[in-house]
Amino acid sequence: MTISGQVALVTGGSRGIGAAVCRRLARDGVAVAVNYRSSEGAAKSVVRDIEEHGGRAITVAGDVADAGEVGAMTEQVIRELGGLDILVNNAGVSQDALLYDMAMDAWLDVMRVNFGGVFHCTRAVLPHLMAKGAGAIVNVSSVMGERGWIGESNYAASKGAVNAFTRCAALEAARFGVRVNAVLPGFVPTDLVSALVEGDGGKSIRKQIPARRLGTTEEIADAVRFLAGPESSYMTGSLLTVDGGAAAVLGAGRP
Amino acid sequence: MDRHEITEIVTTAVVDGLGAEPDEVTPDATLLDDLSAESIDLLDILFRLERALKVKIQAAQLAEYVQGGIPDEEFGDADEIITEKGLAQLLRVMPQIDPDELRGTLKARRVMSLFTVDNLVDLVIHRMAVDAMEAGTPERAEVPA
Ligand SMILES: NC(=O)c1ccc[n+]([C@@H]2O[C@H](COP(=O)([O-])OP(=O)(O)OC[C@H]3O[C@@H](n4cnc5c(N)ncnc54)[C@H](OP(=O)(O)O)[C@@H]3O)[C@@H](O)[C@H]2O)c1
Repeated sequence: MTISGQVALVTGGSRGIGAAVCRRLARDGVAVAVNYRSSEGAAKSVVRDIEEHGGRAITVAGDVADAGEVGAMTEQVIRELGGLDILVNNAGVSQDALLYDMAMDAWLDVMRVNFGGVFHCTRAVLPHLMAKGAGAIVNVSSVMGERGWIGESNYAASKGAVNAFTRCAALEAARFGVRVNAVLPGFVPTDLVSALVEGDGGKSIRKQIPARRLGTTEEIADAVRFLAGPESSYMTGSLLTVDGGAAAVLGAGRP
Repeated sequence: MDRHEITEIVTTAVVDGLGAEPDEVTPDATLLDDLSAESIDLLDILFRLERALKVKIQAAQLAEYVQGGIPDEEFGDADEIITEKGLAQLLRVMPQIDPDELRGTLKARRVMSLFTVDNLVDLVIHRMAVDAMEAGTPERAEVPA
């Protein structure tokens, strides 16, 4: 069995890590549905790029926080690409603030997309994978789900929920031949974290990472590709950290 | 496809779905009580049948089939004990039961525990007949008497 010829839906595939995942999967012959919420132009350019490299891709609009839109989107992918084998739950947002100042509904806005999106898409896609008795779901979570960071209480909680969900979904899906795993990136320069990693903040963060550098979207995409393909056939319920060693550090990691 | 072949496919699905020993899965073994099937096991068995026979049975349809469309309040009395009407329906889909033994004691929520491997074979045959009828193709499976 190879990954070539399979069909993947990548949520939030228009920018950042998601766009890199789309390109990475397409490079190995996967037909890719590039989901976006508002960046239609960016999603289209990912598709164009994939097509120029001889791959197959379509764009699919839809807000992952909306269960109805997710249902329609899933049907669209199956109709237009002739099936669905891989789901990459990548769409995510943040709304950083100190808990002291955080708006009362800031937890729900982030939760709706980051965990709600994972829940809706998994719920919508799982029956198709179960009926085939095969499939892979990869959640792009975060090391923040396992560690603390000032100003990210709502975001970290949403990723903690994704991690717990990954384990439980893996248990229920395993006997149907469907694997559910998560990639936990550390710091990767994208629009999402630009405020955090640009300028002096970036310098200070780099110093705290054992590898002394930020990750690239391609490095995260490689891990997603691994968990989506037959090379990881005995892995399910795993949380795979890809962070240059950031989460391995205790305190400052030195006296 | 005859009943014998369908029985074999159902038995395989139950053995594989439950990870049971083949000699445990006899036609008169009850799925929940004798074979200790959990809800996820039933789901697994139904998906295996869907793949093997192209017959789609939702887990919720299992209970619906057993209750035969009788509304809850006519199926069981105020104390949830199965009514005469309910018993007559159960006897249709689970001919092995002894209504005299169950009369006045069987609770609605215990009904599924009487469901056997053979009853599942009947349900599959029933579903295949319904599907064939709806698809307008000539019947390929006989409806149970
Ligand atoms: N960058 C990091 O350092 C880092 C670290 C750990 C984890 N992560 C996780 O990695 C994932 C991708 O992040 P990124 O850094 O690539 O962020 P990004 O550059 O901001 O991209 C986010 C993507 O998600 C899409 N999106 C957002 N809300 C959506 C919604 N409701 N429905 C559908 N699509 C939606 C966006 O599409 P539109 O533009 O169309 O809205 C965009 O394609 C996120 O889950 C994030 O939490 C990132």
